[in-house]
Amino acid sequence: MVQTVAWIVSLIFMLLIAAVFGFVAFKSKEKRDYEPIKKKWYKARTFYGATLAVVMLVLTIYTLRELPYNQPVYSAGNDPTIVDVEAIQFGWKMSETEFKVDEPIEFHVTSTDVTHGFGIYDSELNLIAQTQAMPDYTNKVYITFDKPGTYEVLCLEYCGLAHHLMIGKIEVTE
Amino acid sequence: MVTAINTGDFKSKNSLIATYLIIGGLVIAVMMIFGILMLLAQGGVLDLPPAAFYQFLTIHGTGMIGGAALAASAVMWYFLSNYVELSKKVFKLNLILSLIGVVMVIIGVFSFKYASAWTFLYPLPALSGGAWGVTGALLYLVGMLILGVGFLLLYIDTGRAIIKKHGSLGKGLGWDVISGKRAEKDAPSPTVVASTMVTIVNVTALTAGATVLIMNIINVVNPAFTFDPLLAKNLTYAFGHIFANSIIYMGVIAVYEILPRYTNRPWKSNRPFLIAWTMSTAFTLVIYTHHMLMDSVMPKWMLIMGQVLSYANGLPVLVITAYGALMIVYKSGIKWDMASGLIFMSMFGWVVGVVPAIVDATIVVNHVMHNTKWVPGHFHMYMGLGAVVMIFGFIYYLSKVDSGLQTNGLDKIGFISYTLGIISVSVGFLISGAISTPRRWATHFPEWMAPAVFGAIGGVLAVLGLIIFIIHFIRYVKVRGISGSDINEQKLA
Repeated sequence: MVQTVAWIVSLIFMLLIAAVFGFVAFKSKEKRDYEPIKKKWYKARTFYGATLAVVMLVLTIYTLRELPYNQPVYSAGNDPTIVDVEAIQFGWKMSETEFKVDEPIEFHVTSTDVTHGFGIYDSELNLIAQTQAMPDYTNKVYITFDKPGTYEVLCLEYCGLAHHLMIGKIEVTE
Repeated sequence: MVTAINTGDFKSKNSLIATYLIIGGLVIAVMMIFGILMLLAQGGVLDLPPAAFYQFLTIHGTGMIGGAALAASAVMWYFLSNYVELSKKVFKLNLILSLIGVVMVIIGVFSFKYASAWTFLYPLPALSGGAWGVTGALLYLVGMLILGVGFLLLYIDTGRAIIKKHGSLGKGLGWDVISGKRAEKDAPSPTVVASTMVTIVNVTALTAGATVLIMNIINVVNPAFTFDPLLAKNLTYAFGHIFANSIIYMGVIAVYEILPRYTNRPWKSNRPFLIAWTMSTAFTLVIYTHHMLMDSVMPKWMLIMGQVLSYANGLPVLVITAYGALMIVYKSGIKWDMASGLIFMSMFGWVVGVVPAIVDATIVVNHVMHNTKWVPGHFHMYMGLGAVVMIFGFIYYLSKVDSGLQTNGLDKIGFISYTLGIISVSVGFLISGAISTPRRWATHFPEWMAPAVFGAIGGVLAVLGLIIFIIHFIRYVKVRGISGSDINEQKLA
């Protein structure tokens, strides 16, 4: 799951940063001339900076390979089900809410009043996809459910006092 | 450091700085209490009506950004005035306009139930579903506009003063040094460079903010006047992201100024430093699109740039500023006290808070974490453990050099309590985000409640720490000018 990977990666880097700051604080009590320290660590910085830039570049390329904005390539005879979604304070109007496992679906999401957030949650309350529901615009979510169950659509953009009550349901069957 | 000549000038300058800081500090403390109440409500411990929750949400965001920006601008003004000639009248005017704006915002929120969150996404101010009316919306939006105008005047003045002294804003960023036309030894000081960056980005941000506020005001008065919601969203985030970000870029001036005094090591602008700040200037202006990664109607290239440049924006701080702070402290024999400890901690807070931000700026991650509590997890760490700690580090520094006021064991307890508190608040938010808890929800499903309660407990610890910091500052204000002065700045190292 993406969230778990994000949390573990963040935790590792945050602990690493804490260790570096802790080490420097620990070593701060010693007193040495600054010039040799500068010379040594400026050199190290070139290596560190270059490594960081390369790591970021690799991660960028890796994570940009597949974007949620791209329409999937559908096989012949396997056209997607288009679902028109209209957000309105404080509910969801969806042209269809019952789907099959492995059925490709495109949610075309808009709003009739303010900005809302169209977030699809699985039956274990994990967020699996989202887009903004904007007045005057239509954003798309491409999804194929791979498990049966009851999914929920929660509002993910603050839209007024009943924002947290804006919950829709989607049924996915085998 | 250039020192002023006239004692009266110093007293008056520090009095104004102290006023800024005390207002900023108190606002932050009160906003923290609202934050705790919201977490307790989400944790199922406190029964808070949704209307009250969203009013708290609105005041919490507005107050935190406003209070921290006010205090951070005082940090910038204090040090920048040692290098360029700033207008005290404009500085005072900003304070007055800020206070007028704050009063209007408070009345709008609590007397007229206005609750659009501080991001006031068009057309929510006008379409509240019957929750608030025109008066509340106008009080809030006009109040924000007045606040923004005050800050805009302040940054126009800092820009004017920098141009007068250095010739142009480009030279304030050291572009003539980068291009080799001027020697490194003549480069503008880090304070001037950072202030130039903040001037450029905040004049832009505040202009965008004023534009979208005025558009919203007209829409509230006359709903027949409508405008493009995507344009409004771009303007809102261009304002909000940049202005909130600038707080840490103003706060870091305290790091550049204070650590060299404590370590007896210079922190001067060199070519990599100047390039890093030019990168920060450019990236800060354009990376707000990472707030719009879930608007697929945006041009795809803008969204991809949102990710790429958000990654790149981590480089100046990770490779130059944080690295510089570590280098200057490493084996320096630094004398640790509240000021130096908080300043060092603030750099840790900044760097550690960058990590979840970069992770969330990744489009595929944002797809399942945008607008979850992961986002406040990042900025509570970045702001609470970074920017706000810079401000309080400066406060302890100011009280030391301007009054000779001693700290005691209670201050140390405050340091520990605040640090542990903010870490707990942030980790609570990050865990909530990792389990998909949406942000800005008045109530939570039972599965989401435990991290909220954990965060609330952390919030209590943080407030206790902050109260101790503020008590110290009030003690300073009382004895200021009696024992010591920064004209005879003590040797700190």
